[in-house]
Amino acid sequence: MVDFKVSSRGQDQVSIIDVKGYLDAHTAPELENEFNKLIEKEQFKVVVNFDGLNYISSAGLGVFMAYVETMREHEGDIKFSNLKEDVYNIFDLLGFPVLYEFFDNEEDAIVKFK
Amino acid sequence: MMKFDFVNTTRKKKLEFLILALFVLLIFKFFYPTIDSSIFSIINDFLIYGLVAFGFLYISEITNLKISNPISLVLNVGILNAVIFFLTALSSVLFDEFENINEVSGILYTILSLVIFLIYISFATYILSSLRELFFLRQKKPSENNFKLMLAALVITSISATISYIYKDFQFIEKTFYVVSIVLIIINSFKVSWIAFLSKRQKIFLLFLSSIMSGLFALNFVFSNETNIIEQIIFNFSSGVQVYFSLVMLYGNIYFGIVFFTTLFHLPTAGAFDQKSEEVSSLIDLSKLMTQVLDFKELGDNITLATNKVCNSDSSWLVTEDNFTHELVSASNIGYVEADGITKAILEEIETPLNKLLSLNKKLVKVKLKNDTRTYIFQSIVIVPLKVHTKTNGYLFAVKRQKYFFDEDEKKALGAFADYSAIALENAKLIKESIDKERLESELDAARDIQSKILPDETPKCDELDVVSLFVPAFEVGGDYFDFFKLGDKKLGFVIADVSGKGISASYIMAEVKGIFESLARVIEDPKEILIQANEILKDSLDKKNFVTALYGIINVNSGKVTFARAGHMPLLVCSNGILNSLRPNGIGLGLDSSAIFRANIENMEIELNNNDILVLYTDGVTESQNSKDEDFGEERFKKIIIESSNGDLDDLSKNIFKEVSLFSKDKQQHDDITLVLFKWKNYNNMIGEV
Repeated sequence: MVDFKVSSRGQDQVSIIDVKGYLDAHTAPELENEFNKLIEKEQFKVVVNFDGLNYISSAGLGVFMAYVETMREHEGDIKFSNLKEDVYNIFDLLGFPVLYEFFDNEEDAIVKFK
Repeated sequence: MMKFDFVNTTRKKKLEFLILALFVLLIFKFFYPTIDSSIFSIINDFLIYGLVAFGFLYISEITNLKISNPISLVLNVGILNAVIFFLTALSSVLFDEFENINEVSGILYTILSLVIFLIYISFATYILSSLRELFFLRQKKPSENNFKLMLAALVITSISATISYIYKDFQFIEKTFYVVSIVLIIINSFKVSWIAFLSKRQKIFLLFLSSIMSGLFALNFVFSNETNIIEQIIFNFSSGVQVYFSLVMLYGNIYFGIVFFTTLFHLPTAGAFDQKSEEVSSLIDLSKLMTQVLDFKELGDNITLATNKVCNSDSSWLVTEDNFTHELVSASNIGYVEADGITKAILEEIETPLNKLLSLNKKLVKVKLKNDTRTYIFQSIVIVPLKVHTKTNGYLFAVKRQKYFFDEDEKKALGAFADYSAIALENAKLIKESIDKERLESELDAARDIQSKILPDETPKCDELDVVSLFVPAFEVGGDYFDFFKLGDKKLGFVIADVSGKGISASYIMAEVKGIFESLARVIEDPKEILIQANEILKDSLDKKNFVTALYGIINVNSGKVTFARAGHMPLLVCSNGILNSLRPNGIGLGLDSSAIFRANIENMEIELNNNDILVLYTDGVTESQNSKDEDFGEERFKKIIIESSNGDLDDLSKNIFKEVSLFSKDKQQHDDITLVLFKWKNYNNMIGEV
């Protein structure tokens, strides 16, 4: 099975989470961990960079739904960037673009926070 | 030929023989209270030997029950010994000796002498039997013959005493065997290895007891050989038995004399021996725990507790190692926080994984912890790796705070103990894993069971509409759901949904979703409105991270009009005259957001079907089936098959799709449910019109 990797970095008070590989029910807890760390550090402005993510399952989508409320309550948000076409289609089919902001590149998403 | 083996007969049988022998003796004594001829004297003595022999065999059964506790056996002997001494001493003070005992007669004397004889002889036999048990206790080499030889010597000496009583010329025979008996008694008295296995307290008690007993036996031996009333009565009763009695007393004297000195020499090492046996019993306890304690944490607690006993450490704790991360499982006689901190500090300094026992014994070990003002000082720390098949799974720490280093023996014991613990812990871990696996499997069974009950058993049938469904569950239940609702004569409601997540939780949500659609379909005839209501209910009941995608539609079988709405689900495919359209009205998934946003983004779509048009409802399990290269089956392949098979039977279409999907993903496990619902509409109105 394709590996899944998650890491985060900071830029101008915006945290960027990089996700790579295969995000499903088995790898979702790793992403949850990353969000928990950010909440602990009180960083609520998050951009998730999907460059390198090949697949996302319903459990993977669930992670964002679980944390977005907390972020928005603290004047932050979760924004998505750099999605491959088929990954975007999964979000689109579900109607995520109505509820979340999607960007072609990371910088645009960071700028949107200011 | 029948062989009668008395030694192996039952206890009850032995008692019967003993009573019989006693009865015969009583009758004999009743008829011949005084013995005046040599032949009667011999008969008398042989009856008594028989009685003693049967008595010995029966008493052996009783003393044999006490071998697990040698001290209680010794104590019994001591009590009988004291009673003999007391009776003899008292009677020789109270009564004078008989002037001429051979001529004393009368029923009173006969009864009295019989009672005294029975008491002494049974006590002596009990003592002999107990000494026999002690003789065999903890013997490694077979030395049964030595004891048998001694018993034989006792018997021969007694018999020769009987004979020499009658024929005074044969006294030298009696004397010779008497000496032989004493030599054998001395040899057998050195079998005292059981003393080594007593605890220190028991040894002190035994030292005290054996000194008194040896002395009392000596006195009894002297009493039995000098003239006093008891000696006279017994000697008169049977001269052989008197010799037997005195030899038993001598045996007791010598044996307990040797016991006394042996115990005395063992006493200085008793403490060390106690510790060794503590180590051994700790190991035995642990091996019992291995089979009884399956809980990893509880086993860890038992191991650290036992560690302190095994190697005399002040504190000990247990740490597991997994991919270079360490976790404290249990600590004994030290705080968790302390133990955890000390572990981290030490393991940072040394090279892990550790393969051999590491001993920080050289000088005082000082450990300074972060955020802690104290410095921990240990005299000695020993770290033992817990290894199973050359893999280190953790470490056992043992520390001494003040006195002494760990000596070599303690380290060895700890090493052996750690090996044993490693296996026990591994065992507990494996059992837990297999229990977890079993639980998971039974959960999945339950989930599949729920799912199969939720899905409709059969598809609706009517002339105008062919309906075919295909459902292939994944190993981990995926949460796919579809259903049909008959709405009057002309209309049929249909729904397909996919619950996020897998397993038992997905199947519960499925059940809820079924309930929602069952009830809403009966009261609302607008697909969009039904989905809005469903979202309202699910938004509150679902976990934040769960959602459901669904597509609900109503088909009028007469007119071919289809109205449907989509909530985040895969599009509805319509195949008409070899052209396939993917219909995707707006709509977000159920449970994603509040009513207002959901309502604002959902729409109904209406289509008019033509004769032989095909509707395809599916879940992402179909298009996301993967091959060994992680490629998706994809929409293009799916659509191509539908177009190619659209002219044939609906069943064939379903079979073709399944065949292609299975072929494509044959090298990979199916990870999501595959659901497919197909409709083919036939325009009867049109046909009538044409005719």
